[in-house]
Amino acid sequence: MPLVNLPAFAPDLIADLERLGTERVDTPVIQPAEPFLDMAGEDLRRRIFMTESETGKSLCLRPEFTIPVCLRHIETATGTPKRYAYLGEVFRQRREGSNEFYQAGIEDLGEPDVARADARAVRDALAVLKNRLPGRKLSVVLGDQSVFEAVVAACGLPAGWQKRLVHAFGNQAQLQKLMADLSNPAPSGTFGPEVERLAIFGTLDDEARLIAHIDETMEATGYSTNASRSPADIARRLREKMELASTRLDSRTLALLKEFLALELSLAEAPKALAAFADKAGLSLGAALARFESRVAALSETGVDPAEITYRAAFGRPLDYYTGLVFEIAPEGDALVLAGGGRFDRLLTLLGARERIPAVGFSLWLDRIASVKGQAA
Amino acid sequence: MTITIGLPSKGRMKEDSSAVLARAGFTVTAVGNDRSYRGRVEGRDDIEIAFLSASEISREIANGTVDFGVTGEDLVREGLAEADARVEFCARLGFGHADVVVAVPEIWLDVDTMADLGDVAADFRARHGRRLTIATKYWRLTQQFFSGNHGIQLYRIVESLGATEGAPASGSADIIVDITSTGSTLVANHLKILSDGVILKSEACLVRARKAEHAGDPVVAEIIEAVRGAL
Repeated sequence: MPLVNLPAFAPDLIADLERLGTERVDTPVIQPAEPFLDMAGEDLRRRIFMTESETGKSLCLRPEFTIPVCLRHIETATGTPKRYAYLGEVFRQRREGSNEFYQAGIEDLGEPDVARADARAVRDALAVLKNRLPGRKLSVVLGDQSVFEAVVAACGLPAGWQKRLVHAFGNQAQLQKLMADLSNPAPSGTFGPEVERLAIFGTLDDEARLIAHIDETMEATGYSTNASRSPADIARRLREKMELASTRLDSRTLALLKEFLALELSLAEAPKALAAFADKAGLSLGAALARFESRVAALSETGVDPAEITYRAAFGRPLDYYTGLVFEIAPEGDALVLAGGGRFDRLLTLLGARERIPAVGFSLWLDRIASVKGQAA
Repeated sequence: MTITIGLPSKGRMKEDSSAVLARAGFTVTAVGNDRSYRGRVEGRDDIEIAFLSASEISREIANGTVDFGVTGEDLVREGLAEADARVEFCARLGFGHADVVVAVPEIWLDVDTMADLGDVAADFRARHGRRLTIATKYWRLTQQFFSGNHGIQLYRIVESLGATEGAPASGSADIIVDITSTGSTLVANHLKILSDGVILKSEACLVRARKAEHAGDPVVAEIIEAVRGAL
């Protein structure tokens, strides 16, 4: 029986992935749901197909490959570096298009030369797409969360704000709202009456006393001091919040952040433009800029012309395991994303790997590639 | 065409709904005995009453098996995706008040707003090795409010079908999303509502299933008009 929806070009694509020096892996279609919900959040629940095992364990149909491939790597403990390739069906509830469709891709785990691995991911994604869509112009957009993190850090913002801004990066609406909130002259912190009472007694100025007070209150009200947030956690963040309440995002910093987020230009010119931005703003972006530059150089070395790639400073993914590079490839003049990828250095540790494993990868939407091929024919 | 109205089958909600309809000129009586699940409106052969449990009402409106229903806005918005496209809230009836709220332990002295909660959620995994957990039966409302309105995605829902307000103290969840009318249960459990943590101010509503055949139906228009006039 022919597999539903499997594009005719799949065997050629598999051959391409093999030629790129990868090891083909497959993962079960039925996966434990927990890791997906834990990594991506509860919103995912509506977009995946969930069921329960007889014993009440949450299961789902594989919604993507990155997490299963990484879990498999951790379980089999085969050492790094590894380059895995996959091609298989994924299942997601979508408004448009089929709920089951094929994805293929590469996950590059444990390559210590980050710039080289990043460049290779972009090159491989482009190479595979070009083989399937000969003659079709493709546009690549690239972003880098670590540059934004460096800008925010260099602006000298309080740590609490840096975290908020970095967390919202990639979600335009959220980030705009946050910047507006932080620059709003109205008091940004809301404190309850209990905090005001403690302030009067001077309890807030003495961390040990504050912790002891919280501890006693929790005991007295029947709250465990270690099941959830501990007295020390609460005290620490309360002091952090009080510091933030008296500061504002000044207009100069706000203007700088906006100027940075508006940057969109050819990747070939981006290192110079970022350096010029940093100079003018008096910010030191040292290491992040150096890494950015070496990635651009590595791209040139692998044969990808940076002039063909657009760098967009505001482009990112609002997921906390993405750490640096993100990119998307679409047919020129079309918004349909054919390939998406990025660096997720935090994912393997979050999934339970004992040591930190740097990782980068991309996945291809085979149904979309097939539809673009169809247009050409 | 006969128009069917779904009404709550027991308790205060049943009495209050019947009272509103009576003021609007529709006197509801049970068919057969008091416990019957079918009713009628005196002098009106063109209106039928179905007595249903509160949560069934929103489902039956969505299916279109009843034309109107009287039920809490919270149940409709929780039960139906894209509620406003599928039903019309014709009138707010002034009883059955309950707010769906985000509440955290009082002792979280540093958390008074959703922005505070967002900070805590973002760091939670790094500090505690797991995501922040929310006990609730309002999955949909929680998700819409947390990610749609406040950009908070990193949390897990722990389903709770009763005594939700006890979850934080018992350690089965960190915070809750639940309904409250007076707030006294929250206070008794040492919980506080976040200053911007009211997800929905709910009350009983007259809700209409959006059906094509309602257009131009004089009885449908009459019911809406009369109930609105009775408030």
